[in-house]
Formats: sequence, C-alpha cells, structure tokens
Amino acid sequence: MRSVEATVERRKKLALLPYAWITIGVAALSVVLHEFGFAFDAVNIALMYLFPVLFSAVYWGLVPSFYAAAAGVLAFDYFFVPPFLSFSVEDLRYLLSFAVYLAVAALTATLAARLKQQVKLSKEREAHTAALYSLSRQMAAVGEIKTLLENIALQVSVTVQAQIAIYMPDARSELARTAYSPGDHGFGEGESAMVIAKWTFEHGRMAGRGTETLGEFPGLFVPLRTEERTYGVLAVRADAGALSAESRHLLEAFGGLAATAIARVKLSEEAKLAQLTAESERIRTALLDSVSHELRTPLATVIGSATGLIDGEDVFSSDDRRELLVTIRDGALRMNRLVTNLLGMVKLESGMLALRRDWVDAEDMIGVVLSQVRGFVGERRIEVRIQEPTPYFPGDEVLLEQVLVNVVSNAIKYSPDGSEVVIAVRQSGSWVRISVADNGIGIGEEDRERIFDKFYRGPGSNGTTGTGLGLAICKGIVEAHGGTITAAPRAERGTVVTVALPAGKPELPEGWQREEEEQQ
Amino acid sequence: MTTETGARILVVDDEPQIRKLLKVTLKAHHFDVLEAETGEDGIYQASINHPDLIVLDLGLPDVSGMTVLNRIREWSRIPIIVLTAKDREADKIEALDGGADDYVTKPFGMGELVARIRVALRHSGNAQQEPVLRFGRLVIDLAQRLVELDGTRVKLTPTEYELLKVLASNAGKVITQRQLLQQVWGGHHHESDTHYLRIYIGHLRKKLEEDPTRPTFIETEPGIGYRFLLQEQAK
Repeated sequence: MRSVEATVERRKKLALLPYAWITIGVAALSVVLHEFGFAFDAVNIALMYLFPVLFSAVYWGLVPSFYAAAAGVLAFDYFFVPPFLSFSVEDLRYLLSFAVYLAVAALTATLAARLKQQVKLSKEREAHTAALYSLSRQMAAVGEIKTLLENIALQVSVTVQAQIAIYMPDARSELARTAYSPGDHGFGEGESAMVIAKWTFEHGRMAGRGTETLGEFPGLFVPLRTEERTYGVLAVRADAGALSAESRHLLEAFGGLAATAIARVKLSEEAKLAQLTAESERIRTALLDSVSHELRTPLATVIGSATGLIDGEDVFSSDDRRELLVTIRDGALRMNRLVTNLLGMVKLESGMLALRRDWVDAEDMIGVVLSQVRGFVGERRIEVRIQEPTPYFPGDEVLLEQVLVNVVSNAIKYSPDGSEVVIAVRQSGSWVRISVADNGIGIGEEDRERIFDKFYRGPGSNGTTGTGLGLAICKGIVEAHGGTITAAPRAERGTVVTVALPAGKPELPEGWQREEEEQQ
Repeated sequence: MTTETGARILVVDDEPQIRKLLKVTLKAHHFDVLEAETGEDGIYQASINHPDLIVLDLGLPDVSGMTVLNRIREWSRIPIIVLTAKDREADKIEALDGGADDYVTKPFGMGELVARIRVALRHSGNAQQEPVLRFGRLVIDLAQRLVELDGTRVKLTPTEYELLKVLASNAGKVITQRQLLQQVWGGHHHESDTHYLRIYIGHLRKKLEEDPTRPTFIETEPGIGYRFLLQEQAK
C-alpha cells in the first residue's frame, strides 16, 4: 500500500508541474518579446502568446491551457499595452482584442485537448487489442488446463489492474475457485461471491458491478463461454468506481477467448486420452500375442526335446539325439532374441538408453555386424561397398551396430538362398547413408511406414518368426542420434532400408599423419 | 590341445544350475573343476587350491565379482575369465581394466567358453616373450621391429607398429581401448582420444587385412576394445 501512496504523492507533484512550466514559459516569452518588442506590433505579440496555450493544450490538457491563456493576457496587458508595466488599459479597444485572444485560445485549447483525449483512447484500445492478442497467443501455446488458467488470471489482472478469480466446475461438477491473480488477497472466496459466480455460470450472463444483476456487488462476474457451453466464470474485483464500458468489453472479449482456449485444451486432452487408451490396448494385445506365441513355441520345443531325450534315452540314434539338441539350442536362442528385444524396448521407452557419442568408423562397424550375422547368412552372399575415404560419424557404436545387425538380419531373413545382400556406405553432404538392399519379397507400399511400429508384422512375414520389435528399436536408436531410417522398394526386386545419420569430421591435430610418416 | 587337459579350473558362481552345467561340460573336456558359491569362498579356494584358471561370475551374493577380481589380482596372475549376465559395456570394461583376461556374456555358447579357456591357459603358459611372433601369413619380428605379410615387408608408422605389437603380444585376449591408449601413447592420453585409436586401427587393417570389413587379424569388440585373433579364432 505504501507504494500506492507514494505514487499518489508523486502524481500530485506531477500535476503541479505544468503550471510551473507555463509560468516560466510565459515569463521567458515576455522577457524575449520585451527586448525586441517594439519591432513588432501588438497583434503579432498577441499571436506569440498563443504558443504556450497550444503547447499546454497538446501536452497537458484543457485546464493548464486555460491557465496559459490567462497568463498570456495578463503578460500582454502588463508589458505591451500602453500604459506599459501596468494592468490598466489606455485604449478601451484593447479589451476587444483581449476577448478575441481569449476566445481563440479557448477554442484551440479545447480542440487540442479533445484530440489528445482521442489519442489517449485509441492508445488504450490498442493496448487492449495487444493484451488480447498476447493472451490469445500465450493460450495457444499452453496444453494444460491448470497452467492455462493461471496464465489467464495473470494476464487479465495485469491488463485491467485488478484482482482476478476464475471459477471452474470440479470433478463433482461443483463450481470452485480454481485460479486467481498472483499475490492472492482472497478475493472471490466469500459465500456471496460463490452465489453470484454460480448464477453467472448457470445463466451464462454477466453479473455484479454495473450490470442488471446485483449491480452493487463489488465485483464483476464474466462467464467464460463459447457458443455451445459455459466453461467457467471470471470474476474481477471492482469496488471503487464501476469499470468503464471499455474495460467491460475487454473483459467480455477475454472471457470468450479464455473459453475457446479451455475448450481447445479440454478437447485435445480428451483426444489424447482416447488415443493413449487405444494405443495401450493395441500394445497390450500385441504383447500378449507376441509373448504367448513367440515364447511358448520355442519353450514347447525345448521342453519337448529335453523330456524326449531324458525319457527315451535308448530309443534315439545319435543323429536323432543331435537333432533334438539342435532344436533345444535353436529354441533357446529364439527366446533369447525375444527377451533381448523386449528388454531393449523397455530401455528405449523408459529413457534408460544413454547415448555415448564417439567417432564411429563405418568400415569397422560393418566388420562387427558381419561377424555377428555370420551364423545365419546361409547360402546368401553379402557384398559391402564403402566409399573411400571411409566415412566417420559421431554416434554410439554399440547401439548403431545393433541397428545394423537388426536390419541386415531382416534382409537375410526375407531373401531367398543364393541371393545377394548389398551393404553400401556413402557420405553425401552432411549425411552418412548406410543402405542395406536385399532381393527378397519386398514390402507393400502401405507397410513401408508401419514396419517401424512396435509389434507390427507385415502380411508377408507369415512363417518367419519375430516379434515386430526389432525395427521399432532401430527407429528409436536412429532417431536418438538425430537420424532417419526408411524403407523403399529396390529397383529390380526386394527392399532397401536406409539409415541416414548426421556426418561429422573427427578433429585431429594438424599434420599428425605427416609427422608419423616422416619419422619412419 | 592335450597340453591343457588336466588343468584345474575354479568356477565361482552362485547359480547351482550354471555351476552344474560348467562342471559337466568342463569335465567332459577333461578339465578338473573346483566350485565356489560365494565370492569369499572363491578367494579362499583360489589361494589354497592353486587353480590354473578362474571362471568368475560378476553378480555374487556376498561380495561383488569385481572385488573378488581385485583381491585375487593383488597376489596372483592366474588367468581369469569373467562370466557375466550384465551386458553393459561399462561392466565389461571395468572387469578387463581390472585385470580380467577375457569375458563371456550369459547366455553363452559352451563351445565359445571352452575355446576362450584354452586360449587363456595357453597364453599364461608362454608369458615370456618370443622375439618373433608368427600368425599364419603375418610375422612380427620384435627384435628388429619388422613386420612381414606373405614374406613381404609391411611399412608401418611407429604408432601403428606399437599398436600392432601390443595387440599381437596379447593375442587372443581382449585389450580395452584404455589399455591400448596407455600402452601405446603412454600416460598423456585423453579419454576422448579413442578416435585416434579407431583411425590407426583402420590404417593397420588397410595394410594387413585382405578385406577390412572381414578382419582376420584385428577384431573389434564393440564398445570395449580390440582382440588380436589367434589364427584358429579367425574364421
């Protein structure tokens, strides 16, 4: 409160300032005119005295300009109307001049002051428009109801310089004060305020100070409504002096704007929830399907083969035994792949995956990938084409190898024996592209995006085992590196999967290689 | 192969299933097997029974596998192969830097484990350095600092030669990036210098390998380091 008093005090001082300036101005003008005064005739001098009048009308308004006019007449009379240095007037015709002067001064002052008033008004309107605009822009950026309401409360209270309360229906559809302006003074908490807020909410009309309903209540209640429904109530404290019509319009506009924003956030929250439910439903089904099939099948073969071996020790030939043992191993390996993929997905989704950024040598990485897939290449040939000089790029080599092993394994899995898989690495501009091309059955156009979805299995994958997690993990890893992974049909037959990663150049000290060679 | 039979192997693992599996298989390969269920027991048995090699699980109930490793390394150079279900590179690197000779991750192929055990045993057998190392087509003469491939001299820069020397004299073992940096560049290296390593290894491969993407001499252990392949390991 002290700051308010100080402001008032300062304002009072400021209000006296124009009169002091006018007095000084008129005195100075009189001195100047008096020095050269006899060169002019009286009419010109009278005109000169209109200057302070106009000036104060434009800058300080009506009353100071009248003061300037009076001061002008007195100075004119005293210094320039004979007898000089006296207020008495020799020639009575000068009285007429005074009257004309005063009339002209009054008229111009009024005009100038009105102009000033209009400028002030339009500035205010502009400020209101700006406030509305900034509120609407802020609201468009907020995606959560609570933050949105707090934002509105803050913005409105700053714009209209008053305390604000916002009422919204709670979980039990009871209206409650959910947001308020910062530095809350408990405005809008009382029972009577609640009653008016309820009335406003139910009727969707303004109530309180200056309206038809409860016009004497120290607060204005504005419904937050769109055309369809009312979302809440905005209350503005307005006890001393009713709010101007301008402010009421502004508040109404704020109300509409806020209601639209609330409606938007509510709708998007509902949509998000619905999408989330559907997605989690889909994933749950897929996970159950996948786990029950992918885990049970190999488990069944492992248990079956093992019990067979134990129970019928003497019935099997050594070839049969070997066959059963290979089945056990393959079943276990398949389960291991599933578990690894599920763990990978969990790591990826829980954000546990920490990227280690290091320089990756494409040639080295492909060497590791080849040694990892060696086991199931079968009769297929793998050709490697690496651009010279070998591209280096920043990334986590272990994770990126996992990506490539997955992609190359897929290429092998979906292409026939005797065909060729081509791995190519090339750098173009700021991207390093690693592509894996096969001669397989290819991917339908509608599946090219979806194969990177979790648990998605293409229609062509019947008969091949897998969980549909591998490529989803690849996508997660590649995107964590700021890269992209895409699938496209190969010109002749098959598919090309391309991993594009941001390139870079490892920093090496100047001439490190040359020094080495010279030492030889 | 006959030289390793009869070697005594201490298995330190808290899982009875794994111990049983190892015991049965290693016995079938004519190794003597000792078992320890806890880390403390493992350290105790290592000190009184003088095993020729230790297979050590990292996740033990009483003290961590790393502690066991460090405590044994205080007084012994017995080859230790770490057997771990932890698949984070950091754990493997810590174990290798801490003095382990090799690591095998669970689930593991028995054949691979047995092969690693053989390599480690052989390595400990001839720890004294030969002046000339021979790996199939590749001959490294440590006394003359000469490298020959198929009988022709290969020109290597000093750093490339040092790198090859460190890797080849530890053939069959994983050498971590840190160990390599320390041994080749000495004390004044930086963790971020690993990309020099990559580039030098790339150069070495270009000079030694027929196809650098299918290396037969220097194999990359992703995220961990490099291994110079004994020729029976190269396929």
